Amino acid sequence: MLLLAFRNLVRRPLRSALAVSGLASAVAVLACLSAFGDGYRRALSTEVDRMGLQMMLVPLGCPYDAAARVLKGKTLDSSLPESALEEARRDPAVAVAAPLLMAALARPNQGRADMWVGLDKTALALKPWWRVEAGDGWFGDDNAVILGCDAAEVEMRKPGDRFYSPETGQELRVAGVLERSGTSDDSMFFVPLRTAQRMFGQTNRLTAVAIRLRDPALLRQARDRLQGVSGAQVVTPTEMMGTFVNLVGAVRTLLLSIVLVAVTVGVLGVFNTLLAAVVERANELSVMRAIGASRSQIVGLITTEALLLTGAGTAAGIVLAVVVGQGVESMVKQFVPLAPAEPLLSLTAATLAQCVGLGAAAGVSAGLYPAWRASRRQPADASKAE
Amino acid sequence: MGAGALALLVVVVAWRIRDWSSPEPPFEPKTKPPQAAPLCPWRDPENDLKRFFPNATRYEPKTRILSGQRLELAERLGRVPTGDENALHVYHCYEEQLPLGVVLTRRVKGDYGAIELVLAVGPNGRVCGLRLQRLREPEPIATALQSPDWLRSFEGQRSDSSWKLGRDIPDVVPEARLSAAAIVDGVRSMLILLATSDPSASQSPEAAPHH
Repeated sequence: MLLLAFRNLVRRPLRSALAVSGLASAVAVLACLSAFGDGYRRALSTEVDRMGLQMMLVPLGCPYDAAARVLKGKTLDSSLPESALEEARRDPAVAVAAPLLMAALARPNQGRADMWVGLDKTALALKPWWRVEAGDGWFGDDNAVILGCDAAEVEMRKPGDRFYSPETGQELRVAGVLERSGTSDDSMFFVPLRTAQRMFGQTNRLTAVAIRLRDPALLRQARDRLQGVSGAQVVTPTEMMGTFVNLVGAVRTLLLSIVLVAVTVGVLGVFNTLLAAVVERANELSVMRAIGASRSQIVGLITTEALLLTGAGTAAGIVLAVVVGQGVESMVKQFVPLAPAEPLLSLTAATLAQCVGLGAAAGVSAGLYPAWRASRRQPADASKAE
Repeated sequence: MGAGALALLVVVVAWRIRDWSSPEPPFEPKTKPPQAAPLCPWRDPENDLKRFFPNATRYEPKTRILSGQRLELAERLGRVPTGDENALHVYHCYEEQLPLGVVLTRRVKGDYGAIELVLAVGPNGRVCGLRLQRLREPEPIATALQSPDWLRSFEGQRSDSSWKLGRDIPDVVPEARLSAAAIVDGVRSMLILLATSDPSASQSPEAAPHH
């Protein structure tokens, strides 16, 4: 029966191909969307874990925007008083409080921006991926700079070389070059906190304070206490992650509804193909009935054709999702807040099972009416048509 | 007497054998290769075209592969070519269909950071313009290196010209010498890469610089 169903489909190859391609497009989008949601959640979680911190003190304003900008190495318009750092360090639940001062110096006529980060040695506890590939491992003096690997490559600097910031007039010496970490650190210039404060006229000011707690279970109490720090607000990566996942989830739901419309159109394409085939083959079906084919066998034949069409469409859609997935991901990353550096599309077994299940359901539902109509043909109809 | 002669003979034979067993390398670099640089983009083609080839209406980027000419390159450069010198990105400038020259870009190691060069070369292989599109040197050095007179002194130079800083190219203030030498070497290297990739350009008849 499978062979017969297959032969019936290839008798009208263009019509079958069109039905398959319509369903394939819908399944590909569905697979990408589904894989993107799972991948985004997982990649964001990994990114948050790698931060090694449980909360951040940021200046008053939108806390999520502030925290996201700090984590992605962008500057804030406002800053914190350095007293916030002291208050955070005094809190009994805080194990590490690392100050950060960030400044971006745009050089539009040269098509780039220098990203400077001032930090002190406490930041090392929060950056477990920090490995200084070459050099002393830390700033030897106030006029030292550690370069991210991409920054060092672009500026052609090695440890011991001189380095200059034309905008601030600061002359520095390269103390080290970081190993590639795949984070935004790779393109940054790191200087001692005091040097950064002097360079950018931000004496006793900070962009943020990154905090690790002695025990993550103390998060709620510590947050309640640190909310009282003047000029600062507390953001936890988990809250940030939840906000971003919710934001992306809302967009995903909207897109999913559009995809379901596309899947419905694909199913209607299969339905139309099968119905046309049944009408065209009415006489042939009557002859089959006349030579002994039962109604259930006719229903089985048409249902098999429907399943073959939707199976091919589903398989083609999954292949399409794998092929175009990278392109879709790079496009999506431009619009997603706090897009993690890791791959966002993850075509898991669950996603594939979901697509296959949907394809099978679509096939059965698209084939029901044509199969019923085909099974209604009477053996006597064959002689009438003759 | 006989033993002495025999010892001398042994020493001479050993010396010859050492010479035969270590053939002279095809090329002995005189200097260390400079630090390999990542690809340098052309940041402001519109204004550079107006500056170097005022009649230009368009440009076309092309990549020439030089990995098969490393030996020739090494001889002409006087050093082992760096990895990034296996390919040359050339921007061909045209007035409609008429070729006007080419533009090359390169990143060289300045004293305080990378310096990006934009070099315009006429069809005769002579420099017809040089601009520093990016540098992070302190003020006195940047002023010396970006001085129009100093940059103009490169015009008319060819890959086979003499390139001594202080003689063929005017000297600069002492603190700028390191970066100036890097620029001179960078421009010379670009011209050699171009001439090696397209020998016809360097053999064309003498002509006045286009600029």
